[in-house]
Amino acid sequence: MPGPHGDPGLQPERTTLAWGRTMMALVTVSAIFLRWLPHHGLPILLLFAVSAAAAGAIYVTQRRRYRASARGIRQEAVDADTSAVLWTAGAAVALGVLGIVVVLAS
Amino acid sequence: MSTNQPPSADPAPPHRGKIAERLLPGGTEPDPRFTLANERTFLAWIRTSLALLAGGIAIEAFTADLFLEPVRKILAVLLLLLGMLLSGGAAVRWIRVERSMRNKTPLPLPLIVPLLAGAGALAAAVVLIFILWR
Repeated sequence: MPGPHGDPGLQPERTTLAWGRTMMALVTVSAIFLRWLPHHGLPILLLFAVSAAAAGAIYVTQRRRYRASARGIRQEAVDADTSAVLWTAGAAVALGVLGIVVVLAS
Repeated sequence: MSTNQPPSADPAPPHRGKIAERLLPGGTEPDPRFTLANERTFLAWIRTSLALLAGGIAIEAFTADLFLEPVRKILAVLLLLLGMLLSGGAAVRWIRVERSMRNKTPLPLPLIVPLLAGAGALAAAVVLIFILWR
Protein backbone atom coordinates (compact mmCIF):
# COMPACT_ATOMS: atom_id res chain seq x y z
CA MET A 1 0.00 0.00 0.00
CA PRO A 2 1.84 3.12 -1.21
CA GLY A 3 1.52 6.38 0.68
CA PRO A 4 -0.56 6.98 3.79
CA HIS A 5 -3.70 5.14 2.61
CA GLY A 6 -3.41 3.61 -0.89
CA ASP A 7 -6.87 4.75 -1.98
CA PRO A 8 -6.74 5.37 -5.77
CA GLY A 9 -9.78 7.64 -5.43
CA LEU A 10 -7.79 9.93 -3.07
CA GLN A 11 -10.80 10.29 -0.77
CA PRO A 12 -8.85 11.68 2.22
CA GLU A 13 -7.25 14.34 -0.01
CA ARG A 14 -10.57 15.31 -1.60
CA THR A 15 -12.31 15.53 1.75
CA THR A 16 -9.53 17.62 3.32
CA LEU A 17 -9.58 19.92 0.28
CA ALA A 18 -13.38 20.25 0.59
CA TRP A 19 -12.87 21.42 4.19
CA GLY A 20 -10.17 23.79 2.92
CA ARG A 21 -12.58 25.28 0.36
CA THR A 22 -15.18 25.73 3.07
CA MET A 23 -12.55 27.44 5.22
CA MET A 24 -11.71 29.83 2.36
CA ALA A 25 -15.43 30.53 1.88
CA LEU A 26 -15.68 31.39 5.59
CA VAL A 27 -12.61 33.67 5.34
CA THR A 28 -14.15 35.41 2.32
CA VAL A 29 -17.51 35.79 4.06
CA SER A 30 -15.84 37.20 7.18
CA ALA A 31 -13.93 39.72 5.02
CA ILE A 32 -17.22 40.74 3.34
CA PHE A 33 -18.79 41.20 6.79
CA LEU A 34 -15.95 43.58 7.73
CA ARG A 35 -16.65 45.54 4.56
CA TRP A 36 -20.20 46.15 5.86
CA LEU A 37 -19.02 47.51 9.18
CA PRO A 38 -19.57 51.18 8.15
CA HIS A 39 -23.13 50.44 6.98
CA HIS A 40 -24.39 48.13 9.74
CA GLY A 41 -22.24 49.12 12.70
CA LEU A 42 -20.71 47.12 15.51
CA PRO A 43 -23.08 44.10 15.47
CA ILE A 44 -21.33 43.08 12.26
CA LEU A 45 -18.24 42.32 14.36
CA LEU A 46 -20.17 39.44 15.91
CA LEU A 47 -20.83 37.96 12.45
CA PHE A 48 -17.16 38.46 11.61
CA ALA A 49 -16.13 36.71 14.82
CA VAL A 50 -18.36 33.67 14.19
CA SER A 51 -17.19 33.13 10.61
CA ALA A 52 -13.53 33.82 11.42
CA ALA A 53 -13.67 31.44 14.41
CA ALA A 54 -15.21 28.69 12.26
CA ALA A 55 -12.50 29.20 9.61
CA GLY A 56 -9.81 29.06 12.31
CA ALA A 57 -11.30 25.90 13.79
CA ILE A 58 -11.15 24.19 10.38
CA TYR A 59 -7.58 25.38 9.87
CA VAL A 60 -6.26 23.93 13.13
CA THR A 61 -8.03 20.57 12.62
CA GLN A 62 -7.00 19.93 9.00
CA ARG A 63 -3.92 17.79 9.77
CA ARG A 64 -5.74 15.68 12.31
CA ARG A 65 -8.65 15.32 9.85
CA TYR A 66 -6.42 14.10 7.03
CA ARG A 67 -4.65 11.59 9.29
CA ALA A 68 -7.97 10.27 10.65
CA SER A 69 -9.48 9.80 7.18
CA ALA A 70 -6.30 8.16 5.81
CA ARG A 71 -6.34 5.78 8.80
CA GLY A 72 -10.07 5.20 8.17
CA ILE A 73 -9.36 4.12 4.58
CA ARG A 74 -6.60 1.77 5.82
CA GLN A 75 -8.89 0.20 8.44
CA GLU A 76 -11.94 0.15 6.11
CA ALA A 77 -13.95 2.06 8.72
CA VAL A 78 -13.80 5.78 9.39
CA ASP A 79 -15.22 7.51 12.45
CA ALA A 80 -17.94 9.85 11.11
CA ASP A 81 -16.91 13.37 12.15
CA THR A 82 -20.22 14.24 13.82
CA SER A 83 -18.93 17.09 15.96
CA ALA A 84 -17.27 18.90 13.02
CA VAL A 85 -20.48 18.63 10.99
CA LEU A 86 -22.52 19.97 13.92
CA TRP A 87 -20.31 22.95 14.74
CA THR A 88 -19.92 23.92 11.08
CA ALA A 89 -23.68 23.83 10.51
CA GLY A 90 -24.17 25.58 13.87
CA ALA A 91 -21.86 28.42 12.82
CA ALA A 92 -23.75 28.86 9.52
CA VAL A 93 -27.12 28.86 11.32
CA ALA A 94 -25.78 31.41 13.83
CA LEU A 95 -24.62 33.63 10.95
CA GLY A 96 -28.15 33.45 9.50
CA VAL A 97 -29.83 34.34 12.81
CA LEU A 98 -27.41 37.22 13.49
CA GLY A 99 -27.75 38.43 9.90
CA ILE A 100 -31.54 38.57 10.13
CA VAL A 101 -31.29 40.46 13.43
CA VAL A 102 -28.85 42.96 11.87
CA VAL A 103 -31.03 43.47 8.77
CA LEU A 104 -34.27 43.92 10.73
CA ALA A 105 -32.63 46.22 13.27
CA SER A 106 -31.09 48.58 10.69
CA MET B 1 -19.18 -3.13 -0.08
CA SER B 2 -16.09 -4.71 1.43
CA THR B 3 -17.53 -6.80 4.24
CA ASN B 4 -15.68 -10.05 3.93
CA GLN B 5 -16.21 -10.95 7.57
CA PRO B 6 -19.20 -13.08 8.59
CA PRO B 7 -22.08 -10.85 9.72
CA SER B 8 -21.80 -12.04 13.31
CA ALA B 9 -18.18 -10.93 13.65
CA ASP B 10 -17.63 -7.59 15.37
CA PRO B 11 -15.92 -5.41 12.73
CA ALA B 12 -14.03 -3.65 15.57
CA PRO B 13 -14.95 -0.08 14.57
CA PRO B 14 -12.52 2.72 15.35
CA HIS B 15 -13.05 4.59 18.60
CA ARG B 16 -16.35 6.37 18.08
CA GLY B 17 -17.02 9.71 19.72
CA LYS B 18 -19.82 10.16 22.24
CA ILE B 19 -21.88 12.36 19.91
CA ALA B 20 -21.48 9.83 17.09
CA GLU B 21 -22.66 7.03 19.40
CA ARG B 22 -25.74 9.04 20.32
CA LEU B 23 -26.69 10.43 16.91
CA LEU B 24 -25.67 7.42 14.81
CA PRO B 25 -26.56 4.40 16.93
CA GLY B 26 -26.61 0.78 15.77
CA GLY B 27 -25.87 -0.62 12.35
CA THR B 28 -22.45 -1.43 11.00
CA GLU B 29 -19.61 0.85 9.92
CA PRO B 30 -20.27 1.83 6.27
CA ASP B 31 -17.56 1.95 3.61
CA PRO B 32 -15.29 4.82 4.76
CA ARG B 33 -15.36 6.20 1.21
CA PHE B 34 -19.13 6.69 1.49
CA THR B 35 -18.79 8.43 4.85
CA LEU B 36 -16.19 10.82 3.41
CA ALA B 37 -18.37 11.44 0.32
CA ASN B 38 -21.30 12.27 2.61
CA GLU B 39 -19.08 14.76 4.45
CA ARG B 40 -18.04 16.45 1.19
CA THR B 41 -21.68 16.76 0.10
CA PHE B 42 -22.49 18.36 3.45
CA LEU B 43 -19.64 20.85 2.94
CA ALA B 44 -20.90 21.72 -0.57
CA TRP B 45 -24.27 22.60 0.97
CA ILE B 46 -22.56 24.68 3.66
CA ARG B 47 -20.68 26.66 1.01
CA THR B 48 -23.97 27.24 -0.84
CA SER B 49 -25.56 28.52 2.34
CA LEU B 50 -22.56 30.78 3.06
CA ALA B 51 -22.96 32.33 -0.40
CA LEU B 52 -26.65 32.98 0.34
CA LEU B 53 -25.83 34.49 3.75
CA ALA B 54 -23.23 36.83 2.23
CA GLY B 55 -25.70 37.73 -0.53
CA GLY B 56 -28.42 38.54 2.00
CA ILE B 57 -26.26 41.03 3.88
CA ALA B 58 -24.92 42.45 0.59
CA ILE B 59 -28.43 43.20 -0.71
CA GLU B 60 -29.28 45.00 2.51
CA ALA B 61 -26.06 47.03 2.54
CA PHE B 62 -25.47 47.91 -1.10
CA THR B 63 -28.76 48.17 -2.98
CA ALA B 64 -30.25 51.17 -1.13
CA ASP B 65 -30.54 53.22 -4.35
CA LEU B 66 -31.84 50.27 -6.38
CA PHE B 67 -34.61 48.66 -4.33
CA LEU B 68 -37.30 50.19 -2.15
CA GLU B 69 -36.75 49.64 1.55
CA PRO B 70 -39.38 46.87 2.02
CA VAL B 71 -38.31 44.96 -1.10
CA ARG B 72 -34.71 45.17 0.01
CA LYS B 73 -35.48 43.86 3.48
CA ILE B 74 -37.75 41.09 2.20
CA LEU B 75 -35.07 39.88 -0.23
CA ALA B 76 -32.31 40.11 2.38
CA VAL B 77 -34.30 38.23 5.04
CA LEU B 78 -35.41 35.66 2.45
CA LEU B 79 -31.80 34.94 1.46
CA LEU B 80 -30.60 34.84 5.08
CA LEU B 81 -33.49 32.57 6.09
CA LEU B 82 -32.77 30.27 3.15
CA GLY B 83 -29.06 30.11 4.01
CA MET B 84 -29.95 29.30 7.61
CA LEU B 85 -32.46 26.57 6.68
CA LEU B 86 -30.05 25.07 4.15
CA SER B 87 -27.16 24.80 6.61
CA GLY B 88 -29.42 23.31 9.29
CA GLY B 89 -30.98 21.02 6.67
CA ALA B 90 -27.52 19.98 5.45
CA ALA B 91 -26.61 18.76 8.95
CA VAL B 92 -29.93 16.88 9.28
CA ARG B 93 -29.42 15.32 5.87
CA TRP B 94 -25.85 14.32 6.74
CA ILE B 95 -27.14 12.50 9.84
CA ARG B 96 -29.99 10.82 7.94
CA VAL B 97 -27.68 9.64 5.15
CA GLU B 98 -25.13 8.40 7.67
CA ARG B 99 -27.85 6.48 9.54
CA SER B 100 -29.25 4.86 6.39
CA MET B 101 -25.73 3.85 5.31
CA ARG B 102 -25.12 2.27 8.73
CA ASN B 103 -28.40 0.36 8.54
CA LYS B 104 -28.12 -0.37 4.80
CA THR B 105 -31.48 1.24 4.00
CA PRO B 106 -32.26 3.39 0.92
CA LEU B 107 -30.90 6.94 1.12
CA PRO B 108 -33.49 9.57 2.12
CA LEU B 109 -34.75 12.07 -0.47
CA PRO B 110 -33.04 15.45 -0.07
CA LEU B 111 -35.65 17.91 1.23
CA ILE B 112 -33.15 20.75 0.91
CA VAL B 113 -33.14 20.41 -2.90
CA PRO B 114 -36.81 21.49 -3.37
CA LEU B 115 -36.25 24.05 -0.59
CA LEU B 116 -33.38 25.70 -2.48
CA ALA B 117 -35.19 25.48 -5.83
CA GLY B 118 -38.47 26.85 -4.44
CA ALA B 119 -36.88 29.69 -2.50
CA GLY B 120 -34.70 30.60 -5.48
CA ALA B 121 -37.82 30.82 -7.65
CA LEU B 122 -39.58 32.87 -4.96
CA ALA B 123 -36.67 35.34 -4.74
CA ALA B 124 -36.68 35.66 -8.55
CA ALA B 125 -40.44 36.30 -8.45
CA VAL B 126 -40.02 39.07 -5.84
CA VAL B 127 -37.45 40.80 -8.06
CA LEU B 128 -39.61 40.29 -11.18
CA ILE B 129 -42.70 41.82 -9.55
CA PHE B 130 -40.60 44.73 -8.32
CA ILE B 131 -39.13 45.37 -11.79
CA LEU B 132 -42.56 45.18 -13.48
CA TRP B 133 -44.16 47.56 -10.98
CA ARG B 134 -41.39 50.08 -10.88
